[in-house]
Amino acid sequence: MLRRLSVLVWLVTLASACAPAASPLPSSASPAASPAASPSAASSAAAAGGGGTLVVAIGADPGHLNPAITTSGGTHTASELLYNGLVGLDGDLQPVPELAESWKVEDDGATYRFKLREGVTWHDGTPFTADDVKFTFEEVLLKLHSRTRASVAPALETIEVVDPLTVVFHFKQPYAPFLQQLDVTEAPIVARHVYEGSDPVENPANLEPVGTGPFTFVSYSPDEEIKLARNESYWAPGLPKLDEVIMRVMPETGSQVIALEAGEVDWIWGVPGPDEERLDADPEIELLRTDRNPGGSNCVMTISFNLDRPVLQDLRVRQAIAHAVDRQQFVDRVLFGQGRVAEAPISSGIPWAHGTSVPLPAFDVAAAAALLEDAGWKAAASGPRTASAVAGVEDGTPLKLDFLHFPAFGRYAELLRTQLAEIGVDLQLEPLEPPVFADTVFKARDFDTNIISYCNGLDPEVGVRRMFDSAQIGPVPFSNAAAYRNEEVDALFTEALGVVDRDARGEIYRRLQDLVVADQPYVWVVETTAVRAYRLPCQSFVPYAQFAEAATCAP
Amino acid sequence: MSARYLVRRLIQVPPAVGAILAVAFLLIHAAPGDPVLALAGEHGDAAYYSEMRARFGLDRSVPEQFAVFAANLVRFDLGTSYVHGRPAIDVISERIPSTLLLTGSAFALSTGIGIALGLFAASRVRRAGDLAVSLASLSLQATPSFWLAQLAILALGLAAGWFPIGGMTSARSSATGLAAALDVVHHLVLPAAVLAATELAVVARLMRTGLLDELAQDYIRTARAKGLSELQVLTRHALRRALIPVVTVVGSRVGHLLAGAVIVEAVFGWPGVGRLLLSSVQTRDTPIVLGIFLLIATTVILANLATDLVYARLDPRIRHG
Repeated sequence: MLRRLSVLVWLVTLASACAPAASPLPSSASPAASPAASPSAASSAAAAGGGGTLVVAIGADPGHLNPAITTSGGTHTASELLYNGLVGLDGDLQPVPELAESWKVEDDGATYRFKLREGVTWHDGTPFTADDVKFTFEEVLLKLHSRTRASVAPALETIEVVDPLTVVFHFKQPYAPFLQQLDVTEAPIVARHVYEGSDPVENPANLEPVGTGPFTFVSYSPDEEIKLARNESYWAPGLPKLDEVIMRVMPETGSQVIALEAGEVDWIWGVPGPDEERLDADPEIELLRTDRNPGGSNCVMTISFNLDRPVLQDLRVRQAIAHAVDRQQFVDRVLFGQGRVAEAPISSGIPWAHGTSVPLPAFDVAAAAALLEDAGWKAAASGPRTASAVAGVEDGTPLKLDFLHFPAFGRYAELLRTQLAEIGVDLQLEPLEPPVFADTVFKARDFDTNIISYCNGLDPEVGVRRMFDSAQIGPVPFSNAAAYRNEEVDALFTEALGVVDRDARGEIYRRLQDLVVADQPYVWVVETTAVRAYRLPCQSFVPYAQFAEAATCAP
Repeated sequence: MSARYLVRRLIQVPPAVGAILAVAFLLIHAAPGDPVLALAGEHGDAAYYSEMRARFGLDRSVPEQFAVFAANLVRFDLGTSYVHGRPAIDVISERIPSTLLLTGSAFALSTGIGIALGLFAASRVRRAGDLAVSLASLSLQATPSFWLAQLAILALGLAAGWFPIGGMTSARSSATGLAAALDVVHHLVLPAAVLAATELAVVARLMRTGLLDELAQDYIRTARAKGLSELQVLTRHALRRALIPVVTVVGSRVGHLLAGAVIVEAVFGWPGVGRLLLSSVQTRDTPIVLGIFLLIATTVILANLATDLVYARLDPRIRHG
């Protein structure tokens, strides 16, 4: 019996190892599919609607449909259409009205006053009020939404309900990033009358959600599909247009692409790099590029150096490795063009904060070799360099570094190993499953180097600070992996938090980036972009959040 | 077979299941990886992570956690899934029917076709047909099912367009009643066939060997001497006795099918227990993983018990006392 169980566990491991390797064969043969809009489309007489049925492929079963209690990309992807934030964020990350019609920033950014939209109702018909907002923040988001809790909770003093349509947030000090943290991804508003007096994590409404969003919940078959229908009384006039949205759970990206080509689904969230060209050439399929994702936006693939390790405490070694990395090759060979070379520590997706006055180390093998020679790592006839009078390292020790990575990032690892071999650095690859990776890097801190997709979010306070702040060194996953400590950098982050003027605030982040580039605790390799694909006649999507609010599938 | 025998065997089930669960529990907790990560994503603060650990009792020692788990288990409570935020038993139960449908169909398919192939091969010993059956079934047995599954999807799903690519129902279909059932059957064909394929060989080969053994017996010579046709000899006389070895492997086949379902469900996007196990292992959702182990262990043990009972009925020489 035990043997059988062990066989099962082995098979499970095998299957998980094999799953990402699955790649569909190129094929343009489409079986008889029925992409026609549902017949109910024609019968809809309302001003909005008539847009037919949209079938969306999602990669994982969401588990539940409450985006306020988790930052899980799976749950957010499946549930954001059901909810709203106080504000939305447009393509330039500027706040636009959603549940809040207008807002005023007072006291230099210590007070935010929101005027709520009149006449908004929950899907069950109950009116939406300021009490819902206060309740959502106090009882749900600030306790359970890990991002909003980590950033907003320590800064916030009180939430005041002035009248049913006015809510005021009082912060202890000026708090600049707040308007970037109120969209449906960071702060979806849930119904007080549904969640009050219950444990929000176990409330049955998480499976039968009641929101204010453009679509209402119809049904949820775990691991199979989620059905949504048009919200007949949505607050935005003329929206949504689609009659129905069906989200199909399809764990394999390969199968998702096949299903899109075969017309079984209309929208997929991510196109694998090798498939992009083929889909782009398909006249029935359109692509949309974006830096934003429900699970994390503006992600930068980043190599961390463990600054607790003597070898890596030498700035020259870190700079040498940075010089040896040919970042353009990563864009071409790993991302197949789905991204760009990182030009600064903060993502170019946050343009007002992105940028340094000193460029990142350019690809220069000679410079890298010279730096290593200088640091006491002498070139050998073949194989890795060896130590000669390197502080804390025995003479003759080869320059070997381990490199931890998620199995999904295997291509990065292979390419980096090849590039570093050029300068005599022997990289030992260690693929680790995400939960094990997080434990090894952030709790045990047992690594030399690793690669992490650090998603910067929509504001540096949310996704950037954690990589550099000396107060955020372990054990929290995906915090300061390098164990970087620089008091000046810590102080600049704190200063920037209180400056509401965006240009002035951006200046502070640029100064801070100059400092971290000089210290080189990380190598910022590439910024990744996601590519959405959809099938005509479906159109009018945006690539994030309320992606299908204005979409239609009617021919 | 006596009732005492049955009772004795049934009494052995709980300790066996308990031992399996204890070992599984220890293995899971010995493995590295933090379930809170799956829950919190990557942006939490330290307080959040420790609160989440406390919420699910992960801050306690492993023996304490096991005591809580065992105490709950006695009341048929598997605990709350970290990922789903619901009782693990609910999350698992709602996926059992689709796994039953898949494994049941695969079991019936592999048994039926396996017996037929065995009969066919035995009636043509060492001739081309026999060789072809042996070769084909052995090749299928040696083929990794995830590869076979993808091949089936590409060839019969995408290229030929005969079968859907994945899932259990059509997204755009609003069919009800018989049409809906047919839709499920249409989706079932490929995964059930792939799952059955690897099991075919075992049945076919056992059947063939069993039949050949029986055909060499004296009573068969008698039957032939009476003037019965070869088909009648095979089906009326030899088959019943030759089925015994096929029945004896039912228990282990149930185990194989459940293990195979993990892979087949993942590739075909079949919404069953196997896929849930796969994702729960990845997210370290211990209550779900242990619950599924419990389900599989119990099923396999009971299948073995059932095998022994059927065995006794088929062969009057075997008596359980």
